[in-house]
Amino acid sequence: MTRRSTWLLAAVPLLASLPLSAQTVQNPTLRRAQQAFENLDYRQALTVGQAALRERLTGFERARAYELLGFTYSGMDSILKAVDAFKQVVLIEPERELDPNRTSPKALSAFQVALTQILVVRQLRVDSVEFVGGQGAVGIRYTVTQPSRVVTRITGGSLGRVRIDSIVANGQVNIRWPARLPSGDPVPAGNYNVVVEATVGQNSFSGSQPIRIAHGRVDTLPHLTSLPGYTYLPETEVPPKSWKPMGLALVYTGVALAGTSALSNGELGSTSLREGGAIGAGIVVAGFIMTLRKPAPQPARGNILYNQLLREQIARRNSEIAQENTRRRQQVALSVVPVPRTGGGR
Amino acid sequence: MKTAACAALLAVVAAHALTAQHVSIGPQIAFGDYKEVSSELHYRGTGIAAKATLQWKKFSGDIVLSKLKYKPSSDGTATKEFDASEVDVRLRYYVTGPVSAELGFIRRKADPELEAQSVGAVTIGARMEYLLGPGVRMALSGGLLFGSKFSGGGSTGALGALQLGLGLTVDALRGRVQATGDYGFQRFSRETDDGSGALPAPIQQSVGRIGLAVAF
Repeated sequence: MTRRSTWLLAAVPLLASLPLSAQTVQNPTLRRAQQAFENLDYRQALTVGQAALRERLTGFERARAYELLGFTYSGMDSILKAVDAFKQVVLIEPERELDPNRTSPKALSAFQVALTQILVVRQLRVDSVEFVGGQGAVGIRYTVTQPSRVVTRITGGSLGRVRIDSIVANGQVNIRWPARLPSGDPVPAGNYNVVVEATVGQNSFSGSQPIRIAHGRVDTLPHLTSLPGYTYLPETEVPPKSWKPMGLALVYTGVALAGTSALSNGELGSTSLREGGAIGAGIVVAGFIMTLRKPAPQPARGNILYNQLLREQIARRNSEIAQENTRRRQQVALSVVPVPRTGGGR
Repeated sequence: MKTAACAALLAVVAAHALTAQHVSIGPQIAFGDYKEVSSELHYRGTGIAAKATLQWKKFSGDIVLSKLKYKPSSDGTATKEFDASEVDVRLRYYVTGPVSAELGFIRRKADPELEAQSVGAVTIGARMEYLLGPGVRMALSGGLLFGSKFSGGGSTGALGALQLGLGLTVDALRGRVQATGDYGFQRFSRETDDGSGALPAPIQQSVGRIGLAVAF
């Protein structure tokens, strides 16, 4: 009795927290049964709980009533009856999970056995994704509790019923749906239902998840004005100051004067260097000034070639971007968003 | 009427052709030194000149007209002055680097005729041009003078007549105006023969010119 009380004490807060959602137990009979369970009066809890099931209950209250019976039978070591009660819970609320940290192992075990003995599709989830039509897929996950033929369909909108997948599965299943019609076109925008139907023998169960599909424009790429990490180089550069102009002026003048002197006819006496000297002096002065002046910028051939290559590269990349943008403008961006469910499966 | 139409057509064609050309023209002051036969016939003079240059693609050319009044130098025995009017035409073709090939002719006329030799010759040579700095160019030229003709007779050997030149051009006012300076040296190793054998009668002239030019 002491041991039994221990796990039941653990279950009491669980039951107290059962109305997790906004729904609460309104039926007075069921409330009395819960009160009896909390008072550890199992027989009273069983009697009143079964009486409550004969009354008019909401789905939520009915599930709570069977759950109460499941916990009570587990506490009374009536495992088979507990399993039967939990089966009813799962059939009413397929998504129902027991918290392993707050539930006794006996009740958890009975709940797991109940799951394996009935066919349900649970934990159906559709990922919220955005992708370009034809270049991505929607992730769909679900768990089927028994080996069965599972057919996944999308229904609603203008599609009617379109089969997405059909497999024999047991346990968790992951499928990827490209959101395309058999013709290859993207699924039109609208509200749809992803329906998963499991069948084994005469038994079948289906779960559904509403989704909303929206169409958008695919983002286009901006044209490039520069390549990351590459910058244009100056196409002219100022050469370092040099004495070359002065040197060359001296050389030219020297050659002219020396040439005059050397080429003069000896019979005509000394050579007049007055004229050459005057012009040569002007050239030397000009060379000296040019040496002192900041040199004029000269074309930097290497930089010009580099910039030319860079411009060609950017032009080529922009041409590719233009082609890519043309292609993207013909594409559709699909946005798939799951919509909150209003009920379970059957 | 037909002549006017032809003139208009030529003007249009010439204007179109000039768009790709660089032309400059301007006056110069000239000063020179002239010797003939011996060091005793020594003259120095000054005068005026005009120089025009034309550049088109790889071709360029100079035309220089000058007139100097040569007066006997104090260190010589000459007694009479004379005028030397010279036409110097050079056509150049750019070869490579700073080098251009040069072809032209000179013709110098002395007045009075008998005071000095009038001369004409064909020039063949080369010219090197170097850009000292923005808008500042200098040039060095040299060549041979072939086919020399003298008013007083005589001749020169194959390598007996030659010329040397030095030039400077400085652009101003964004290249619209140029300051020019030119130096030219000519030597003719002329020989005459009056029947008693060849006698040397060399001619040598150095001319400097400084001036301005308008470029367009």
